[in-house]
Amino acid sequence: MEQAPRLNLSERVIRALGLALLVFGGFFPLVWMLLTSLKNEGELQKFPVQYLPSHPDIANYARVFSEQPFGTFFMNSLIVSVLSTALCVAVAVPAAYALARLEIRARGLLLTLVVAFSMLPVVSLLVPLFRLMRSANLLNSYPALILPYAALSLPVAVLTLVAFFSAIPRDLEAAAMVDGTSRVGAMTRIVLPLSLPGVVTAALLVFVNSWNEFLLALSFNTRLNMRTVSVGVTLYQGEFAFPWPLISAAVVIAVVPIVVLIAVFQKRFVAGLTAGGVKA
Amino acid sequence: MRSEAGKVSTSPRARTRRRIGGDGPLAALLLAPAALLLCGVLLFPMLTTFRDSLFVNKLTEPWLGTPFVGLKQYAQMVQDPRFLNALRNTLFFGVLTVGGSFLVGIPMALLAHTPSRVRGLARVALLLPWAMPPVITGLIFAWLFNGQYGVVNDVLVRGGLVGEPLRWLSTPGLAVVAMVITIVWKTSSFVALIVLGGLQGIPRELTEAADVDGATRVQTFWRVILPLLGPSLAVAFIFRAISAVQVFDIPYTFIQQAPAQGLLETLGVYIYRTSIEFLDFGYAAALSVALFGVSLAVTLVYVRFVRGGEG
Repeated sequence: MEQAPRLNLSERVIRALGLALLVFGGFFPLVWMLLTSLKNEGELQKFPVQYLPSHPDIANYARVFSEQPFGTFFMNSLIVSVLSTALCVAVAVPAAYALARLEIRARGLLLTLVVAFSMLPVVSLLVPLFRLMRSANLLNSYPALILPYAALSLPVAVLTLVAFFSAIPRDLEAAAMVDGTSRVGAMTRIVLPLSLPGVVTAALLVFVNSWNEFLLALSFNTRLNMRTVSVGVTLYQGEFAFPWPLISAAVVIAVVPIVVLIAVFQKRFVAGLTAGGVKA
Repeated sequence: MRSEAGKVSTSPRARTRRRIGGDGPLAALLLAPAALLLCGVLLFPMLTTFRDSLFVNKLTEPWLGTPFVGLKQYAQMVQDPRFLNALRNTLFFGVLTVGGSFLVGIPMALLAHTPSRVRGLARVALLLPWAMPPVITGLIFAWLFNGQYGVVNDVLVRGGLVGEPLRWLSTPGLAVVAMVITIVWKTSSFVALIVLGGLQGIPRELTEAADVDGATRVQTFWRVILPLLGPSLAVAFIFRAISAVQVFDIPYTFIQQAPAQGLLETLGVYIYRTSIEFLDFGYAAALSVALFGVSLAVTLVYVRFVRGGEG
């Protein structure tokens, strides 16, 4: 356990204020959407702003599902995100293992290429990817999003996993191999179980990226019943009207999985992301 | 640390491996699926973009056909006021939002680093902006900055700072301010996380030694901690610079709601509109290559400074 540094009174006050500001700043925008989603249009159109809804009303949540097939959007996002995560991790683990553990002459070059791939602007790939998906007859299908999401998150997954694999002592594998285990055996029985936290971190990263992606989802899956939530939340606005209580309710539903993941895995996220950063 | 892995070693482990036939074939096998996915879905479209930039391909003027025009569209680009405007906006937003995310992110990291009773809560607050979908961030802040009933206006009016609610999104200058604040909110987390990683790598003895020598906390920060954070700050800077150059989702959402479009149009948004709204695929490809170029330049700096150190 870390020991708390000794702080004098003014330092403690400054830190407490800072922490309060950090927590407020992080949560307020979402809390505000939650409050807005419980108001009706009348309460909304008040200035000075009425902060708390006087009659909290969940009718907007029902309207989210009745005005658009939001349940379908949600399922689409779930399917696409889970499958792209599975594909990405399945491909990233062996690649990262090879880059971290095997003797490859072009290792430095390969790692550089992985970094370069992580920096490709998606908007530049939009048209050629669209044509590719159209010629493969994949528009308005799950693979149209799963394949690019898995590929776009692959570099960051590989870099994260390389950092984790590299941190596992080589002697453990060496010992297992001297005892007669094959290299693949050492990988699956020794290295993988020990780097499970890294695999979880990588999977979380891919899931969050996939859940949040907007541009490709907007352009490739244009049929209403193939939309994802990130596009779905933008469908409630009219040409000139912004029904904010309704939009807010949709936003709140759309971020539930993200907020749950963050709350449950906050330690893992921070550990994984900071490990990747230090290593990079 | 990592460079050790690249050397040919003569440990028992390496000898075992050589006996079973070396790593080459196995490595190729393990890398193949990743290579296939990256080449098929990222590299191939990228190469297509290069080729497309040399041809005219306007869906709105199909009678033109798709003739080869060489670098003509690049010549058109450097004289296109809308491109130059988007480039200027992108760089302007880049400087402000990257700088802003460091100003906010570094104190956030320092706060999250010191142990406290609310550490878990602080970590969630730190991660939320980073994990939030950018489109949704754009929507939320568009509501916060609403010109009539927005919270920002409410606070300003109640605080006596302004008499009337400000029309944030429809006043060009204010729309820029609102967008910078939104992007800084969204991206400071990332800087904080990278810096947090750097802070965790600083041995406690160093700061304690400074403490014993009578340095104040501020002195310790400037003289001991900040220099040691150098590599983390460099990594954070490069990644922030790349994402700033490519920024799309948040400006896209803001533009939907703001008449102050010219000032908010970034390169990413202009490329999107050129391809999807104006259906000018050839020109969009040329613009895309320009964006590749800027991204690649930043990537090369990254590889040179950070990865280069590993030999």
